[in-house]
Amino acid sequence: MSNELIFLLLFLAPVVSSIPIALAYKSKGWTDKLPYLSVFGIFISVVMSIYILFNLEGQYPYPWIPDLGINFVFMIDYLSSYMGVVTALIAFFIAIYGLDYMKGDYRPSWYWFCFNLFTASMLLVVYSDNLFLLFVGWEGLGAASWGLIGHWFRDDDDIAYVGKAGRKVGPLEFSWPPSFGGWRAISTIRFGDVPMFLAIAAIWVFAGTLNISEIDWHTLFITLGAAGTIILMVCLLMGLFTKSAQVPFSEWLMTAMTGPTTVSALLHSATMVAAGAFVFLKLTWYIEPWHLHDVPGLEYVFIFVLAIGLLSGFYGALCGTGMRERKVLLAASTMSSIGLMFAAGATSYWIDIEVAGMNLALLVAFWYMAIHAFAKASLFLVAGHLIHGTHSRFLCGDLEFGKRMKTAFAVTLIASSFLVGIPLLTAYWVKSSMDVLYEHLWLHHDMLWPIVLLIVISLLYSAVLAKFLSLNFIKGEKPEHEHLEGGGLMKLGYVLMVAMLFVISCGIIIFEEAAHFRHAGGEAMSIGVGLAILVVFIVAVYKPSISALSRFGSFLNDRMYLPYLNDYILPKIGFFISHILDDYVNPAIDGLFNTKVIPGLFGWTSRRIRAIQSGYLSRYINIVLGLVMIILVIVVILVRGVWQ
Amino acid sequence: MDLLVMMLAALVILTLCAVLSYKYRDLGLIGAIVAAIIAFWAVSSSNPELTIYCAFVFVIGIINLASLKAIKSVIQGVDYGLVGLMILATMYIFTTQDLAMILVAFVLVSVPTYILVMIREGGTNVEVGIKYITFMVLATVLFLIGAVILAYTKSAPNAILYILGYVMLVLGLSIEVGVAPLHEWVPDVFTSADPIPMSIIASLAKIVPFIVALWVLIYSACDLTASITVFTAVLAAISMFTGNIGALTSKEPARVLAYSTVANMGYILTCLVVAINPEPAFICFALVGVVLMLFANAAGKIGFFNAIKGKGAYTPLMYLLAFSFIGLPPLMGFWGKFFILASLVNVGLFLGDAGLIYYILAAIVVINSAISVPYYLRLARDLGGSWQFNLANVISLVAVIIVFITVAFIPVDWFINSMAVVAQTIGVVI
Repeated sequence: MSNELIFLLLFLAPVVSSIPIALAYKSKGWTDKLPYLSVFGIFISVVMSIYILFNLEGQYPYPWIPDLGINFVFMIDYLSSYMGVVTALIAFFIAIYGLDYMKGDYRPSWYWFCFNLFTASMLLVVYSDNLFLLFVGWEGLGAASWGLIGHWFRDDDDIAYVGKAGRKVGPLEFSWPPSFGGWRAISTIRFGDVPMFLAIAAIWVFAGTLNISEIDWHTLFITLGAAGTIILMVCLLMGLFTKSAQVPFSEWLMTAMTGPTTVSALLHSATMVAAGAFVFLKLTWYIEPWHLHDVPGLEYVFIFVLAIGLLSGFYGALCGTGMRERKVLLAASTMSSIGLMFAAGATSYWIDIEVAGMNLALLVAFWYMAIHAFAKASLFLVAGHLIHGTHSRFLCGDLEFGKRMKTAFAVTLIASSFLVGIPLLTAYWVKSSMDVLYEHLWLHHDMLWPIVLLIVISLLYSAVLAKFLSLNFIKGEKPEHEHLEGGGLMKLGYVLMVAMLFVISCGIIIFEEAAHFRHAGGEAMSIGVGLAILVVFIVAVYKPSISALSRFGSFLNDRMYLPYLNDYILPKIGFFISHILDDYVNPAIDGLFNTKVIPGLFGWTSRRIRAIQSGYLSRYINIVLGLVMIILVIVVILVRGVWQ
Repeated sequence: MDLLVMMLAALVILTLCAVLSYKYRDLGLIGAIVAAIIAFWAVSSSNPELTIYCAFVFVIGIINLASLKAIKSVIQGVDYGLVGLMILATMYIFTTQDLAMILVAFVLVSVPTYILVMIREGGTNVEVGIKYITFMVLATVLFLIGAVILAYTKSAPNAILYILGYVMLVLGLSIEVGVAPLHEWVPDVFTSADPIPMSIIASLAKIVPFIVALWVLIYSACDLTASITVFTAVLAAISMFTGNIGALTSKEPARVLAYSTVANMGYILTCLVVAINPEPAFICFALVGVVLMLFANAAGKIGFFNAIKGKGAYTPLMYLLAFSFIGLPPLMGFWGKFFILASLVNVGLFLGDAGLIYYILAAIVVINSAISVPYYLRLARDLGGSWQFNLANVISLVAVIIVFITVAFIPVDWFINSMAVVAQTIGVVI
């Protein structure tokens, strides 16, 4: 098979396969059957991504507009080949789950088209070497996420809301319907996309190429100088941070839970939020900051990313402990995990340790991303099943309920314990390496705060997922409604998903690049942190809520009132600007172009021009002869003046 | 056979037929057509590069002749002879490098219009004639004196004389073709004269003055030219704005066309700025721009005036002519404006820092093209109607075919190549 065909199938199969259902939106008979075709489209992408993993390597350029550096350039390297498989597989499992979950929905055409577009866009982001092409995928993610988060746009079912309906905190209502959730998502990420686009343009101007692997980053940064480097990188990072919902841009992610659960699962694991962190790793992979210590200003950029990442990690995990809604709790924990990925990637500036020819810090961040993707997707799929089963989006479920939902219970237990870093379970090994990285920062670069924050985050994170497990299956309230029949495909979806964690565990045992993980797992510090995590997990399962802290919990459940920034302060600024524009700038522009200056000038000129035409020859002769004479005299005077 | 002999033969036939047409009316038309064919053959056989140019002039001339059928004038027969004379002079203009002959051609195109303008159904339009002739005499005098002074400075350089000559020539040209602010006669004459003679004055009669002016200016160019061309640029800008704003705020179709002529002459006048450098490569674009724009203007004016005379014409034809005037690619009007802009940019590049004014002029051309959109569309709507097989429709159809020629042969290399040879001839002689 030719490479062109492989790439075409990889990116287009999901989109093309969902066009029929999009066109058949009026026919119920067709929209019941055509989702299978859409799922098959994603399956083709899975096959292609696996084929690419084993058969292709290096850069595959296909020129489009070479004069502007805009080309179809795909890079098959370590990051993209694995991430492509992760993305496609997760999308495929979720799609299978979605066949059950979305049955009877009021607009399946919209859902399946956006879902597949979402997947294809992420694949484009993953495989693109060209920044412009990457940006196309990036914007596809934005558009599709808006469509999916606001999927239930009628806002008619409380089950799709985030926050308790009608609850007010100050002037703001702390409850968000799907349509508002979609708007919050797109408006936040657009806020970051614009600077990112400008940064890409600046890279084209200063580096002369848009291919990430071909840009001479060192020369570029030296050319730009310290201030230029910082501005460029911060503009780029604005796009990544907003997409990955890092503080203070995290609000949209919390209210993105208004979308169908399948969307939340995909959004959190392999697309959208992961895209920001992934692009950061991809860029860092080729920037090789550990070799660029002579570039002024670059260190600040990486300290900035480290700080934002850890801060987001802390904020997300802390808020998670107070959350009462199933999906919002998971959203907060995702934000925390993504923060850890950013932070781990950022440590690469100081960590010049090679494992199998690759930078350790980036490897750690990437493996953590993969583990998190499957574990978090499993948890979300379970949460969706629970919401269907109990018809409640709030945490609830006692042991009796847990016994009846054995599969979901088991999957939750596996996914959460494998993800938090309990010794010997999958994420433990990667987290151990993460501990080693931060220990290195502490011992060799005098930075104590990162490792302190990391340990605090890890413990809080463990508590959050333990709480999720406990309050849904063990110690929660008895659900008011229980509809547990059916859901076969849903179970299949999350069982397949969680099974992947075992596959990754095998990878940790076998792969050469995982050698450091195995080694780090045996360090005393890692074992200590791991045991602490285990203790917190067990305690939190035993006592998932502390009534004495309920007021503090409410504060955390309200995300420390961060919604005020999104829904109150920023709109006020926006309205202020729009009032100024409306009251002063608009009339001025109108006056210039539409009502006064130019039309007035036009009218005046037109009247003058027509006033000349009186019809009298003598008048015309006067004008023309007069003009000719005056011009000749003036010309002669001027010429004599210049000449002498 | 010798070109001059052939032209002389054509002239004799033309004159004889015109005289005899007093007795046999249709003889005038036949004589004019025969003379045009002879002239076409003579010019294109002795100067093959002029074939395309002559073919355009021939077609425009023939539809001018045909349109005269629509009017019962008191001098019917002789009017064909007058148009024939103009066709001959217009074809001849590129073949000679003799200043005297060139000026003769200018007069030969100018004088017949004095009589044509007075033609109307069953009588003569004396009032219009007086108005028109007064200005034309003034224009011709200024133009000829200017041209002669310029030619004189070529052999005896003199700054004041050169600049005086330049200004007189441009002023004469401006009055002759109707460039603002010396356009006063245009709206009056266009509205009160009969549409048919106006279609001739607005089309065929405009070609020679511009070519002669361009020729004389290039021929006499010296160090001072670069500074004095600003004068032409200012006139052109005034003319574009006056014409377009006037047309935009006029209702009567003939008056709109009058102001549209003022605007179009402004566009074409901008091309005279290339006279600062006699290199053939340098003046080639300007020559292409001037000639294409003149043809597009001629075809459009003939179509619209005949539609006025025939009380409307087929709507799609009217719109196509309007699109050509607006400068919509790939119609001829677009290519005319395109090469005008190209030559302005060329001059700007040539002058370096001092060339800014020509970029501004190019911008003004573009802005004015935008201003002109509404009134051309309005004109097309007002004059449009259903298809009927009549003279107005047939003439409009031919006019549309002319502006459509450039669609069939994109890119317009064929035209540029032929004009490049013409530019070469001018350059070599100078």
